[in-house]
Amino acid sequence: MPDYAIPLNNNLIHKTMKRLINIIVLSLILLPIALMAQDDKKKKTETVKIQTSAICEDCKARLEKDIAFEKGVRAVELDEETKIISITYKIGKNDKESLKKAITKIGYDADEMPADQKAHDKLPDCCQKGATPHK
Amino acid sequence: MFFLKIKVMRFLKILLAAVAAFSLNISTFAQKLSGTVFEITEEGEQPLPGVNIYWAGTTTGTASDVDGKYKIKKPADAHDLVFSFVGFESDTIHAPHNSNKYDHVMRGSKTLDEVSVVTRAKTNFVSRLSTVNAQTITSGELQKAACCNLSESFETSASVDVSYSDAVTGAKQIELLGLSGIYTQMMSENMPNLRGLATSFGLGYVPGSWMESIQVSKGASSVLNGYESISGQINVEYKKAEESEKFFMNLYQSHMGRSELNFNTKTKMNEHAHAMVMGHWSRNGSKHDDNGDGFLDDPLYTQYNLFARTDFRGKNFEGQFGVKGLMENRRGGQIGFDHDKPRDVDNGYGIELLTERIESFLKTGFIFSRPQTSVGIQQQFTYHHMDTYFGLTDYEGTQYSYYGNVLFQSYISSTKHTYTTGVSYLYDRYEEQLNDSIFNRTESVPGVFYQYTYSDGAKLNFIAGLRLDHHNEFGFFATPRLHLRYGFNEHNIVRLSAGKGYRSANILAENTSLLASSRQLVVRNAPKMEEAWNYGINFSKHIIVNDRELTIGLDIYRTDFINQVVIDRDADAQKVLIYNLDGTSYSNSIQLEANYELLKGLDVTAAVRFNDVQMTLNNELQEKPLVNKYKGLIALSYATNLRKWQFDLTTQFNGVSRLPSTASNPEAYRLDDYSPAYTIMNAQVTKFFRNWNVYLGAENLTNYKQENPILAANDPFGKYFDSSIVWGPISGIKVYAGLRYTIE
Repeated sequence: MPDYAIPLNNNLIHKTMKRLINIIVLSLILLPIALMAQDDKKKKTETVKIQTSAICEDCKARLEKDIAFEKGVRAVELDEETKIISITYKIGKNDKESLKKAITKIGYDADEMPADQKAHDKLPDCCQKGATPHK
Repeated sequence: MFFLKIKVMRFLKILLAAVAAFSLNISTFAQKLSGTVFEITEEGEQPLPGVNIYWAGTTTGTASDVDGKYKIKKPADAHDLVFSFVGFESDTIHAPHNSNKYDHVMRGSKTLDEVSVVTRAKTNFVSRLSTVNAQTITSGELQKAACCNLSESFETSASVDVSYSDAVTGAKQIELLGLSGIYTQMMSENMPNLRGLATSFGLGYVPGSWMESIQVSKGASSVLNGYESISGQINVEYKKAEESEKFFMNLYQSHMGRSELNFNTKTKMNEHAHAMVMGHWSRNGSKHDDNGDGFLDDPLYTQYNLFARTDFRGKNFEGQFGVKGLMENRRGGQIGFDHDKPRDVDNGYGIELLTERIESFLKTGFIFSRPQTSVGIQQQFTYHHMDTYFGLTDYEGTQYSYYGNVLFQSYISSTKHTYTTGVSYLYDRYEEQLNDSIFNRTESVPGVFYQYTYSDGAKLNFIAGLRLDHHNEFGFFATPRLHLRYGFNEHNIVRLSAGKGYRSANILAENTSLLASSRQLVVRNAPKMEEAWNYGINFSKHIIVNDRELTIGLDIYRTDFINQVVIDRDADAQKVLIYNLDGTSYSNSIQLEANYELLKGLDVTAAVRFNDVQMTLNNELQEKPLVNKYKGLIALSYATNLRKWQFDLTTQFNGVSRLPSTASNPEAYRLDDYSPAYTIMNAQVTKFFRNWNVYLGAENLTNYKQENPILAANDPFGKYFDSSIVWGPISGIKVYAGLRYTIE
């Protein structure tokens, strides 16, 4: 091993960096465990069913992905036959009316609430109301 | 010993899964799947009667009725449903698990997709029906690590290894089947790319966020793309104008001082045409030397990269046009080196690389009314210029390159027998200068090819191809290639491949890393064309364990060189001898890979690979230097329900590799005979929001480094200086963070 003189400053910065990096690494490993535990907590949630005007698998994917990001939503599933969307959310964080509004904003009808026209027109052709159902 | 424990644990896990599979009671409850089949006509979508619908690997099925409707029993273990009709591309879809309804639209006649003049394929994994052993890395996979460019996109792949070629320039190379990256044909959008002068740094010219997917094929590939693939082929598919997001942006920053900015945006020009622009800027601005050898661990660099493309899709005509421009400057060497002062021993050892590159392509395709019949023309023009110095060695190179490929595709008697034939032309003009020596050469290679494909629609697929090329210097040569796929059923598939590959060596451009040393380059004889045979077999097995699918793959490949341009660093530690192979040179590679969703949301990939690569160096059959004898990989990916959080952890176990002999050096500059085995870990956390996501990660978590990667770093102008013997990471742990924003 060649004998270079290692400056003292470098060593100190190295140590602090090392400590900071250890903290980041630890959190990278602990965070998933913490979140996995959280996933199991199913109490204090409510599930609502809303009738939508979804048509094809594209619509299902779109709705499920967008609603997932609404506040407090824990689970989303759109039934392909009935086009009814089931949303499970944490009580207090959200409610049925706000979720219906969110669905209309994406461009679909939600129960009695009509779709936001602008959003509906932006949808791909297969998702527009009155289109023939296909993949 | 840790590795042995992993090996045993892994074996036990697989054994357990196999036992579980046998003791499972296969449910005999058969559901029914029904729906309607459509075709696209001038009036829009119309129901299509008479379509054959059957489960892949079986012969029983049904047909769509006069209204296009169908009903088929859904056996519990059925997966892939095939829709087939004369004149249309046979479609295979993954049967929906939770639904009994499925409507299908038949895609148009198989035309340009085959030659990928205009690729419509999305980021799907290659279907099990693919005859060639190819693995697809999708953009979803690419986002698991902050892969900023192509060289960083293989971290979760057990098949492709990426390593630094030297400790000074940042040049990277891949390794496939134990062979160096030059034996893998690099392509972008099915046209050869990143070759010639771009070989050493080309992986850094493809930004990660520009890519839609990467296909890695092992073994000899199709004759349609040329003769240059010996161990395999890597094809990069860029984002396409029609299918990509309206706007995308990515920002990246690492704690070591590397910053990146990417964006892409698209616009619809009219019903038939789309245009897109992709931009990239990256920079490493901070100097650091953590191993204290006086040299920068990572070179300083700035890169600008811009890509504009348009595509046009008409009724019988499709076209794509694109232009790419790149500018990069790169500086490295000793910390004290001053780039503005004249270069001499007092200033220290420095390197600089200035690169300019322009690429332009045009793909056009015409679809005839006869089903499965089309003609496609691919053209690409490349200009590459690099102005470099390594210490007191100057190297400048310019390359002009033109590639043209005309492909005609049709069928004989029935669509079971299809063929593709055509002509190609490859032109390269190299103008290189190394110190005072000038090397100019022109390569002009016209060629013809023919490929026949047979598919019985159920179990057997077979591709046989032959091409004949004429090289202006090396004369005529023939390239035969054969691929076979047999599906015992849809769960058990075997693939065979055999073929020849050729390439003409670019001694200087492919070995710039050797210029970052004091070794003298000695070319013993005029390099001939490199030539090799490659044979391989792949087994794929899919087993359902606990409702989820376990995928197991086994690859066994052998490459035999008939001629190779040997780069010999063993004969003399102060020289690099370059000569045509005199003896045997081969590579045996065996890889076992398994993938399974172990817990809900937790995807696990485990793989192990053994390499036995030997070549005749200095008249003795020896292990090829710097090739790991074995490699292990475990990749864990966990996504929470609704995929709001994603965690990725990848562990690589790298085995020992032989180092080039330094026995004749003075003791201070002698290396061990073998490099040690070591482990590398990378991890990343991603949080997803509606339109954007943020990520935080770390590479090389264990902070493992190759101590003193530069031989004689304290005497760079002396005769023992060598920065090209690199077997491990040069920098330690790297923490990074970034943000991606998307507007669909």
